[in-house]
Amino acid sequence: MHEFNFNIEEAPTLWKRWKLNAERNPDRDAVVHWVAGQEPFRWTYKNLIDTAKKFSIKIRELGIKPGEVCATIIRHNPKFYPLYLGISRAAALPAVLAYPNPRLHPDKFRQGLEGMAQRSGLDYILTERELEPIIKPLIEKPGSTIKAVYFPLEWDLDGDLDLKVDNEVEEVASQIKDTDPMLLQHSSGTTGLQKPVVLSHRAIMNQVKNLGGALELTEKDKIVSWLPLYHDFGLIAAYQIPLAYGITTIQIDPFEWVLAPVLLPEVISKEKATTTFSPNFAYNVLAEKIDEEELEGLDLSSLRIMVNAAEPIRHDSHEKFINRFKKYGLNPTALAGLYGMAEVTLGATLTTPGEPIPELSVDRNELSHGFMKLADENSVVRVCVSSGHPINGCDLKIVDENRNEIEDGIVGEVAVTSVSMFDGYRNYPEKTAEVVANGWYYSGDYGFRWKGEYYIIGRKKDIIIVAGKNIYPEDIEDVMNGVEGLIPGRTIAFGEEDTNMGTEFVAVVSETNAQTDEEKNKVRMNILKAGMSIDIIIHKVYLVPPRWLIKSSSGKPSRKANKERLTSGTDPQVWSR
Amino acid sequence: MISQELKEVILKQLNLDDFDLKDETIAPEVPGWDSLNHINIILAVEEKFKVKFKSYELLRLKCVGDLQKMLDSKLNK
Repeated sequence: MHEFNFNIEEAPTLWKRWKLNAERNPDRDAVVHWVAGQEPFRWTYKNLIDTAKKFSIKIRELGIKPGEVCATIIRHNPKFYPLYLGISRAAALPAVLAYPNPRLHPDKFRQGLEGMAQRSGLDYILTERELEPIIKPLIEKPGSTIKAVYFPLEWDLDGDLDLKVDNEVEEVASQIKDTDPMLLQHSSGTTGLQKPVVLSHRAIMNQVKNLGGALELTEKDKIVSWLPLYHDFGLIAAYQIPLAYGITTIQIDPFEWVLAPVLLPEVISKEKATTTFSPNFAYNVLAEKIDEEELEGLDLSSLRIMVNAAEPIRHDSHEKFINRFKKYGLNPTALAGLYGMAEVTLGATLTTPGEPIPELSVDRNELSHGFMKLADENSVVRVCVSSGHPINGCDLKIVDENRNEIEDGIVGEVAVTSVSMFDGYRNYPEKTAEVVANGWYYSGDYGFRWKGEYYIIGRKKDIIIVAGKNIYPEDIEDVMNGVEGLIPGRTIAFGEEDTNMGTEFVAVVSETNAQTDEEKNKVRMNILKAGMSIDIIIHKVYLVPPRWLIKSSSGKPSRKANKERLTSGTDPQVWSR
Repeated sequence: MISQELKEVILKQLNLDDFDLKDETIAPEVPGWDSLNHINIILAVEEKFKVKFKSYELLRLKCVGDLQKMLDSKLNK
């Protein structure tokens, strides 16, 4: 039995924990900041803490108070890590936001940030100078909730510590209670519907203990990740957990990784990393989009566990990955599956490390009717991949539409309770009340339990997950309202299976009066451009005549019914490209 | 200047009839050209012109003109 050595009580808040790790292992690498083709920048625990102190003093001098939220919008930069720790030392709440893609229209970015600031209560924006012209007008606007924008990468940290202020900040840090909020993160969504999740020190510490224990982490482990830190998977699994536990995390730039996926196997090989995390699509990309020559000489035998989460786990993706990398020393049982969500900090279930992931070949037709029946010779087979069993401190159940628990093998909604439960959506009690009842979080995901393992097979909500990123169809449908050539309010967006990339792609169906091929192509281009303006790539457009879309009982076009009609039928009225 | 052949490969991969690809055009300006599609575009260019790009070379590409120059250098133009 694996013994996970992590005593929460000896340092129950994050700053105390980081400091303790720096005292115990001052020269150990805390964060290795990886940039392709360069020598990596290495933060030892001591250096990281010393620099974090300097950042915290600046934060204090600027008048940022305990409990205020500092949103960071910063690209891959070595100064980010001590800044994050420094915010926490000053008892403010860091909230990592995505740096805007150039595709996103500045007005849309500003609107999204403004909406987020009002709902989530962002107090300060800490960003790069380049974004100043976009963000400044927000602060100057009457009624803005954002108090100021700062550029911490430009702060001069070279001088000696002002010991008086340093003592003051240390005193503030020592007053933080484990029940106090530690961070704010946004659970999902694109421009308008992000839900702000507040996590306490206690929730995070419990997650470190329970997920760290389930991962069977030891002091010898080294984590490597290309995941963005605005995503809970990256922030908790590959940043909070290693830094709280006191081991090394190697951070690859997500933008670089997606252009050069070889970076991940290369870093695993060079740094002898043991642990990594990726959503399902990455297994396809790694298996199929890297040239053999570039992998020559790489050795993945150090990899002890590679966790798949954040989108449905696909059997084919794992198979391709193993087939490609076993000759480079990959141990096939290193692959693992996790299920979780920001609302329980991250992990709820995990498969057993070092053992093959349980899989079930089931009858696809029966499954679509809500029953898990093992496949027989007459079945069309769907292979379901387990996301594991509950980690310590977590419990799960499958419930029906009345939230009553149902038996094994029947598909229902997944509900989770956890010692790492969030404190509710910030400033959003009505949303919290919708999803939390009697200490259980109702996830909106569909799945079933079988022999103690949980299999996630779909979603009650219509969220589209592209490469691990959650996209609300409402965001896309809203932006289509003003598009020339479309009938307003008569567009729906949904996800379609992308078997090539091991994820989903976004499809849109719109009613239009366009008749000729030329007119329809023009309408399609308008739809693609409207998607681009909110940084969403639409891969398939269906155009249908007026009154074609099936309505739901609410009178709005039904996503589910229309998707089924489009993807299964061959209606000659449907134009698609 | 972007060659007609390169333009055709890119547009075919993006399922577009036409788009004015200039030297200075960047991926986010082109409908459908996201990071996942980028991987497929590069593979399609490699296949069409029988060349191989190194991952680190690809990280240096800022615009379509850079891709054209890199392709030309591989083809010894």
